[in-house]
Amino acid sequence: MIKITGYCHITDLLCAVNGKILLQPSPDSEHSWFRQIYNFADIQYPKFHKMDALAQAGVLGVELIRLFAARPMDFQDEGVDLVFANRYASAATDRRFQASYADHMSPSPAIFVYTLPNIITGEIAILKKWYGENTFVVMPEFDPGFFTSYIQRHIARGCEAVIGGWVQIDEENTEVFIFLAEPIPAEPIPAEPIQADDGAVRLGVRELLEIYQQHLS
Amino acid sequence: MMYIGAETMISPMGASTEENWKSMLANRSAIGWVDQVGLHHEKLPLARFDALTTDRRFHSLVFDCLQAVSQAIDASLLWHASTQVIVSATKGAVDDHLDRPFDGVMHPLQKAFDLKRLPLIVSNACISGVQAINIADELVAAGEAEHVIVIAADLASQFVINGFQSLYAISDKPCAPFDIARKGITLGEAAAGVVVSRNRGIFKEEPLSLLAGYSSNDANHISGPSRTGEGLVRAVRRTMARHQKQAADLDLLSVHGTATQYNDEMEAIAINRLGLQNLPLLSLKGYFGHTLGAAGVLETVATMQMLRHGVQLKSLGFEKLGTSQPLNVLANNKVKEFNCFLKTASGFGGGNAALMVEKI
Repeated sequence: MIKITGYCHITDLLCAVNGKILLQPSPDSEHSWFRQIYNFADIQYPKFHKMDALAQAGVLGVELIRLFAARPMDFQDEGVDLVFANRYASAATDRRFQASYADHMSPSPAIFVYTLPNIITGEIAILKKWYGENTFVVMPEFDPGFFTSYIQRHIARGCEAVIGGWVQIDEENTEVFIFLAEPIPAEPIPAEPIQADDGAVRLGVRELLEIYQQHLS
Repeated sequence: MMYIGAETMISPMGASTEENWKSMLANRSAIGWVDQVGLHHEKLPLARFDALTTDRRFHSLVFDCLQAVSQAIDASLLWHASTQVIVSATKGAVDDHLDRPFDGVMHPLQKAFDLKRLPLIVSNACISGVQAINIADELVAAGEAEHVIVIAADLASQFVINGFQSLYAISDKPCAPFDIARKGITLGEAAAGVVVSRNRGIFKEEPLSLLAGYSSNDANHISGPSRTGEGLVRAVRRTMARHQKQAADLDLLSVHGTATQYNDEMEAIAINRLGLQNLPLLSLKGYFGHTLGAAGVLETVATMQMLRHGVQLKSLGFEKLGTSQPLNVLANNKVKEFNCFLKTASGFGGGNAALMVEKI
């Protein structure tokens, strides 16, 4: 049986793991909302600060699931496939890059390297030293059917886990939903019971949509 | 068996596979000089269309390519419920519609062709095309689609020209993959398409056999190739193992070969680690430039023509080897019936992907 063993939401209003709210943005903070989450979770990863918002969301999502859904993620280095999606690709960063050459005719290479949506998967791969498959797709809205069948296909061919989700971030809106899907033995081994209240959710199209909708619509 | 066929190419060298193949066989290149296009208003070598209008150029390329592919199969398959269209692209319509670069190839494309399913867009930097074909295989193998049409397109937009120039990655001469004097990439634009299906009967011309593969991330750097070629080695190794292929079973390597110092060196290291250094090898960037999200499909289609016609084309732009490890780069066209080739791609974000195509 495949389960979503951990998941994370980040919106403009809150940050939650397995549905439970961890943090809400402080209007008085001198830091960006994502930096507030980074500080809250006590993540130590200096590369985070050079990333664009999409890549930061990916790193936060994976680290929050590891820390607050208590998933060790000690997978083999080729054992994890990554699949992310959104609607407008890297448009927010594209706009910043365009402004860098439109306004002062000196395009910023540091911004340009983030003008691809799949950089989020590259940053997660670097963070975790994972050599598995990475995919980024563009779709009009979160499609639980797409993700469910991707997870099923990849776990059926031997993946230990699939991490993925929806990451649509622009000036108006932050929609981040990141999940960890793993095969779990159908009958729990008595020594290591799968707690009913551990937050894990059996994988299915309806279930995936339901947990997505806990904090996103 | 998984079939791949109905292949189509639209490049500055021609609007059909036949026209493109004729030009390639004559070792002509789509690369020309374009005035005032660089950051400092200098002229640059580019493989750019000149006949298309600027409005909806990305969309029109995708539409034209899907139209052409549909003519090479039973066209009624387009509106079958079990047919999936995949679009492969990196920047889409970024110059015209920066805030929604792919909207024009989602619902409008579905509507225009009466597709039952929304097209799926794969945007995974320069491995998009190879990966899109591998995903097509995945969907058909899992029974989620009966036929998958993969359309890949990208433009040499001002956005990407400025970007690659900011990285000092654009050559001031037409690109020279694997050559000692290589100085970087030449950007190109094109569209290409294939159909992946288990049903041989849908193809008007005999298809080839797709031996789909895997991708692997370098887990090393988002914009620089791995110094050890780790991701590429893993992607190729897994792909060959999946189909029980040894080096001796391969006849040709159609690699990424962007002509940057670091990329070509990385590939040479990976190919030697894989023990494939004696196989004939070419990069197609000298013919089409680097067509980004179109490259994987375009170059698979171009190499399929070599397989069909029994010719291994020279790696255009190459004269003298400029990598630390040996490679057997094709210096001349070689008339030779052969059976199987490996196609690879590598890209920003650390991605690497591979697939193989062989005769039935």
